[in-house]
Amino acid sequence: MNIFIPHHWLLEHLETNATSEEIQRLLSLSGPSVERVETKEGESVYDIEVTTNRVDSLSVRGIAREAAVILQQAGIGAQLRAQNIPEIPAPQESTLPLPQIENDPRLCRRITFVILDHIKHTPTPEWMAKRLRQIDQNIHDSAIDITNYITHELGHPCHAFDYDKIMQLGGLIKVVEAPAGKKLTTLDGVEYATVGGEVVFVNADGDIIDLPAIKGTANTAVDDSTSRIMLWIESIVAEKVRFGSMTHAIRTVAAQLNEKHVDPNLAPAVLQRGVQLYQELCDASIASEVYDDFPSPISPAPISLSTKQVEQYLGISLDQDTITKILQALECQVEWTDDSTFRVTPPTFRPDLTIPADIIEELARIYGYHNIPAKIMDTPLPLNRPADSTFQLELHIKEWLTMLGWQELYTYSMVSETQALASGFTVDEHLRLQNPLTDDKVYLRRNLIPSLSEVLDNNSQRPGLSVFEIAYVYHPDSGALPKQELQLCLVGQKPLREMMGDVEVVLRRLFLKSRIHQESDTLGTLLVSTDGTDWTKCGVLSRLSNTRSALTIELTQLLSQARRHPNYKPLPKQPALSESLTFTVPKKTMVGPLIASIQAADPLIDSVHFEGSYQDNVTFAISYLHPDQPLSSKDIEPIRKNIVTLVESEYGGILVGTLS
Amino acid sequence: MTIEDLQLQADHVLQQLSAEPTSDVSELRTRYLGKKGLFNQLAKVIGQIDPADRKTAGAILNQTKASIEEIIARLTAAGEHQALDWADLTLPGKKPPIGYVHPVSQAMAEITQIFERIGFVRVRYPEVDWDWYVFESLNMPPNHPARDEWETFFVDAPKHPEKGNMVLTTHTSNGQVREMERLGSTPPIRMINIARCYRRQQDATHTQMFHQFEGLVVDKGITIQHLKGTLDYFAKEFYGPEVKSRIRPFHFQFTEPSFEVDFSCHICHGTGKIENEKCKFCKSGWHEVGGAGMVHPNVLKAGGIDPEVYTGFAFGWGVERTYTLKPGLNIDDIRLLYSGELGFLEQF
Repeated sequence: MNIFIPHHWLLEHLETNATSEEIQRLLSLSGPSVERVETKEGESVYDIEVTTNRVDSLSVRGIAREAAVILQQAGIGAQLRAQNIPEIPAPQESTLPLPQIENDPRLCRRITFVILDHIKHTPTPEWMAKRLRQIDQNIHDSAIDITNYITHELGHPCHAFDYDKIMQLGGLIKVVEAPAGKKLTTLDGVEYATVGGEVVFVNADGDIIDLPAIKGTANTAVDDSTSRIMLWIESIVAEKVRFGSMTHAIRTVAAQLNEKHVDPNLAPAVLQRGVQLYQELCDASIASEVYDDFPSPISPAPISLSTKQVEQYLGISLDQDTITKILQALECQVEWTDDSTFRVTPPTFRPDLTIPADIIEELARIYGYHNIPAKIMDTPLPLNRPADSTFQLELHIKEWLTMLGWQELYTYSMVSETQALASGFTVDEHLRLQNPLTDDKVYLRRNLIPSLSEVLDNNSQRPGLSVFEIAYVYHPDSGALPKQELQLCLVGQKPLREMMGDVEVVLRRLFLKSRIHQESDTLGTLLVSTDGTDWTKCGVLSRLSNTRSALTIELTQLLSQARRHPNYKPLPKQPALSESLTFTVPKKTMVGPLIASIQAADPLIDSVHFEGSYQDNVTFAISYLHPDQPLSSKDIEPIRKNIVTLVESEYGGILVGTLS
Repeated sequence: MTIEDLQLQADHVLQQLSAEPTSDVSELRTRYLGKKGLFNQLAKVIGQIDPADRKTAGAILNQTKASIEEIIARLTAAGEHQALDWADLTLPGKKPPIGYVHPVSQAMAEITQIFERIGFVRVRYPEVDWDWYVFESLNMPPNHPARDEWETFFVDAPKHPEKGNMVLTTHTSNGQVREMERLGSTPPIRMINIARCYRRQQDATHTQMFHQFEGLVVDKGITIQHLKGTLDYFAKEFYGPEVKSRIRPFHFQFTEPSFEVDFSCHICHGTGKIENEKCKFCKSGWHEVGGAGMVHPNVLKAGGIDPEVYTGFAFGWGVERTYTLKPGLNIDDIRLLYSGELGFLEQF
């Protein structure tokens, strides 16, 4: 959460000669990060990111407290100024009766308030208005703006009730958990119905008269006619504040502070400061004693730790004096139990300090992270790699494909309903996001083809464009996490033979042979093998149109077959004998199986290559090789005869020419 | 005549040939290899050699003839070379059509290599995971305000009885406890997990999908010094030897202490100024890259590791953010990375 701190407001709480640049730099190095320093109305305003655990720093005073310690440590004079807020005096004239308070200490840790009478609705004075503008707050009038001002200054939210409205509603404030379905209207006129479990204030009739710690309700809020104010501070249990605020999406400054365990011990100072300002600016008179119900103040638990633990984190040792000095500057109590162990009791405004590591963090950041040396680990290396460590091969595949003319893409894992349907699965067969941000990213995809096709559609001026992506697709698995399949998908607009040639080259680099088993005119199965005998299904080839085809490969499966090196075969002692055979085959004869059949016809056939086709004729280059002996044309005569018979009987193909 | 004499004469012929001017190669061929050429004259002397040595003499003559042929062939080739047609050597090359490895892949490969050099093991873990691994085991109980920063996508699927909701991973930190589990809660751990992450936000600097890399080191005696050393090493390897890293306090539920990590600007070298003007690239001398910290004892416990015995550090940064801080890669809209915009991708 970011907070704006005007420089001169800060200096009311911090005595220092540090420049705003020094404050920005040093605070950022050892405390909250000052993201930028803006000039607003002629003055530096710090924009500071305060982390969720440091609600104590979400105020001018909180930042001043941090800055005092950090600047001092850096050798720049700095001191937190004392808070000279006058005590709230006794009621001046006649007192007004207090409303009846029925607290539930399980829900609210503290309630304190005072009644102020004769409120004048004066315009907010320029000095206050300027500061509120600098911190991006709207200006109303003094009676309202004082509460915002002191919240920002001291860090505990407070609220101004219209006293007369409270009394007209029965004069009872009861702290309860709301039942479901109760109506309330916030002070800005928005209506809500409770879901049950929010902490609310109700009157005797059970009507909601405030949504405490989050936002006031219209029926008790200050308006232009208000002349009596109940300046009120409550400390609702943080988890309850968060529940109410998140449930109704009411994210006021008050809610964002109160949900982070604001220290209830801050309340008296805030009340005093409020009274001071109402007296000064609205001419208020005090019309009651201060009511304060704080049944069980929480004392922070002491944390024990040792200098050895400090060293375990920092790698250097800090001496007793340094440790004590730093922690005391942070308002912790330090008690040494012996030379090396000590007990730290944090101040009440630091509920984030609960374990030794928290204390070590305080020591390290104030000591200065830049004062700790840097070195690489000299500890043992892990040797236990996961089985699926194929990252390098994946990178190689990407590099090979790009060199063959394929563009790599990254597309979103979430797809639209149209894309989900285009994947070959029904919409219901997809995992769906409960809370998608946009309509085009709703389903977890099961196939990369639609995403890649969309990119090709969007680049229609590049007719030859061919693209690929390696990404997970997500297959639902009842009751379990989805099965994540690492998919390599190619969508190409090259001629199909060229595309498959590219794929064969890549597979060759992985020492894999491949073939396609044709299922239909548009669909084929990719099979791969290391030795040409055992074939494993690894993917699907689909023709998307006459000019576009897609190949999806289950990459993990493929890479489990891949090899890093070949099975070396001794070089042949004799040259191979080669010849071309041309066959006239019936239309739609599939060449792939034909090659496989010829190859399998005789062990002396070393290779069969497709040389080309013309009309119904296909030509193969066949190479014969005997491992030890030279082959003569006579030796291969019977093999050639076999081939011709086989092609004729299994495929109806007729040899062009005659057998010699 | 002895063998030695023959060898001397043969050497003499070769030396003479080597010293010939090379103007007319065909004339040389006739003079050395022709019927009445020098070689044949040399070969005649074989009759004068002792019959016992004739085999050796034959070998010398064969070798000499081969050498003469080789020299003449070389001179012939050189002559042809001089006679080549004119060619324009300045013509631009004819390039085959190629594609480009996506910048995110390039960045991930570089990051992987850098960390593998100091013994990190790259792993992969689910991108759709249980709340337990993404939040709860990382010391973030349900409804904790710290979760607000992770704009989480929830998957419409039944809750796991122990591990809670199914979510898209908002960060790679889900790999922390998973890695501890993979190793049977037994350090040493030096993990680098690079994966897709998802957050419910979209503008010029945020995309619903992005990538993070997560480092996790756990062992006895791991300190903030090792984290600082690792960050410095990465900064120098990835951005250049003059770049420095620094850590500043921050808060994450799953680390304690927690840090924000900055790298010094390579343009103004960490000064924030160029000739007394504010550096326009970094504005402060430093670039914030992401978070880091010492592993919270509760996270070690969730992974079955005793925080009394072991300590560790972790860091997790956006790949896109880290990559686009490189010199010359000031990409103002990271949505381009996932747009399929060829004009963009073909620059990488």
